[in-house]
Amino acid sequence: MTWDITGMAAVANIGASPEEIFTALCAGQESRTPLRVFDPDKYRAVYAYEIDDRPEGGGDIPRRATRWLTTVVREAVADAGLDEDLSQIPVLVGTTMREQRSLELWWRENADVALEDLHFGTALKAAFGASTTYTFANACSATLYALGMATDMIELGMANTVVVAGTDAATESGFGTLDRVQNDIPDALRPFDTTHKGMLMGEGAAAVVVQRTGTGNGPVHARVRGVGMNCDAHHPTAPDPDGITRAIQDAYRRAGVQAQDIDLVMLHGSGTPRNDATESSVLRRVFDGAGPGPLMTAIKAMTGHTLGGSGLLSLVMAVLAMKERKVPPVLGLIDPIPEATGLGLVQGAPAVGDLTIAQIDAFGFGGINAVAIVEAAR
Amino acid sequence: MSGTSTERMSNPSTRKVVVTGIGLALPGVATYGHLLGPLPVEGGFDPATGLRGREMRHKDRASRLALRAAEFALHDAGLTDADATFTGAADTTAVVVSTNLGNVDSVCEAADTIAREGVRGLSPLGLPQTSSNVIAGWVAIGYGLRGPNLTLCNGTTSGLDALAWARNLIVAGRAEAAVVVGVEPANDVTAKLLGEPSTDAAVAVVLEPADAVASRGARPRATIAGYARARDLAAALTGAGVTEEKSIGLWLGDEAGAGAGHLLAGTRRIGLEAQLGPLSGALGVLQCAAGAAFLESDAPGNVLATAGGPRHDAAAALLLTP
Repeated sequence: MTWDITGMAAVANIGASPEEIFTALCAGQESRTPLRVFDPDKYRAVYAYEIDDRPEGGGDIPRRATRWLTTVVREAVADAGLDEDLSQIPVLVGTTMREQRSLELWWRENADVALEDLHFGTALKAAFGASTTYTFANACSATLYALGMATDMIELGMANTVVVAGTDAATESGFGTLDRVQNDIPDALRPFDTTHKGMLMGEGAAAVVVQRTGTGNGPVHARVRGVGMNCDAHHPTAPDPDGITRAIQDAYRRAGVQAQDIDLVMLHGSGTPRNDATESSVLRRVFDGAGPGPLMTAIKAMTGHTLGGSGLLSLVMAVLAMKERKVPPVLGLIDPIPEATGLGLVQGAPAVGDLTIAQIDAFGFGGINAVAIVEAAR
Repeated sequence: MSGTSTERMSNPSTRKVVVTGIGLALPGVATYGHLLGPLPVEGGFDPATGLRGREMRHKDRASRLALRAAEFALHDAGLTDADATFTGAADTTAVVVSTNLGNVDSVCEAADTIAREGVRGLSPLGLPQTSSNVIAGWVAIGYGLRGPNLTLCNGTTSGLDALAWARNLIVAGRAEAAVVVGVEPANDVTAKLLGEPSTDAAVAVVLEPADAVASRGARPRATIAGYARARDLAAALTGAGVTEEKSIGLWLGDEAGAGAGHLLAGTRRIGLEAQLGPLSGALGVLQCAAGAAFLESDAPGNVLATAGGPRHDAAAALLLTP
């Protein structure tokens, strides 16, 4: 079974639509900005990849993640040619932080935030009349987990159309604790480069409409072939090569593909030395003997780590790459780490090629991994 | 899982999923049989003594509560040995956690520390609990559970939703068993958010396919027979397959809501939150435990658990049968 992707939308620091973001990734201009939202004196990190939509004159406002979410859901549904009334359509939201930034503003600054604002069903009900809504706090693999569960719902006959979305705004607690644990503070997110020092947060949201094959109103952007998901059960924050390998194998088995069928890998590429070494070592073993191997890129070099929505944002970029037959480079990748030797990392300028099947990686805290396989619709 | 799902959910060709283990870490409730009331009882879980131990070090309170409840539930299901080591199929056992407030204390405390001392005042050990899925991660690590790992933070219906998603993971072939945990810690931040003091609450249930249970000789306590999350209680009941023909012997629900009265008039009703205080993400899983206790008693009828309603973004209903 495959599932049609009939609507897509995204917002990030470098663009307010999938096309804008893809164009910016291909152009490859530095996108980090000085940390604005939090008091810079409290942090060692100097840069982030924020969305610049806060009020003039500084300070922060609650429910930004919610606002991006309702925006991308509205746009993805419109892109699919569907009515904005989602009372009969399930909406699965993947997130790392939920509205924890709003919680912080409520706790520290008495911002007007209620318990019901912490999960996204409240806003989805108000905006779209949606009731079959779920907020999955599944760290940075959340949206690919949600995509997999959306395909399950369709396969089990529970729905013909499911909206899958993800959103996250930077939190002080998350940004600050990450700052605290990184020994050498990164001044940019540089995945797979020998100069990589770690992760910097981004902000953003993404949404797709997934439909049972043939039930949509408009053109099909791409087809989901399968999504694998699992847990390392190994370490609360560090990746585990065995768990990641099992997630990739699970995805291939569900999709009915083999390593040699993969043309493009959208890497998790969080820029931490631990992730980059683990992910590249696993992929070297997976693609060993699988011919020339796929092209690979890592968009967090320009978007920062957009957390829960990052997997789905990578997926949307993979769909555009297959459509445009063009893969954006990894910004700042000059000298790949030794573990990545032989991998088809795109450097310097976009790579061109006929791309039919893409693999998207997303790994999160708690050792939770999700891998999606998507096929071009031609 | 919308209303359209109901027919398929009760389709006999779909794998039947049953409750095989129950564990509580809940002050005022000693065993799940007590959930049929009246509550609270003397004794029950004591967090002051029950959350100690080497395996509890460097973990947030919600994770510690959840680990205790999971320990009791896995033992009850016969899936751990004398050393509390998991003996089931670790690669295909899922963890599904429901919590709304699990890490809010960690988040607010970190924000306070940063305001006071900057990031240098933070403990690096606090990193896992900045993410809302910290609890599910620790439960998986505690027992080596490598199947899908899911955290529902879905408001008042979250616990019922978690049970339904765990069932989905099994029916879809992604898992052969699931540990479902509903957990909320009690602290200053949760009290301020809820507008009243709450209690520490953790409850875990183990779900397995009925055919696997029969082959390993375990005892099914209840069957997850229907579920829906919908705009109101009436729509949720229809979606969950609760009709007048189905005899409901016990209704677990605190909010009457509109549209359900005629269906359930005269049905015995238990409100867990009315007796125990706000349970938030723990509620639905605790209702499942109470429902299992009812189905094990001699009383006739099925069990309906409901959460949410007019004051929330949706209502959910879960139908439990023997």
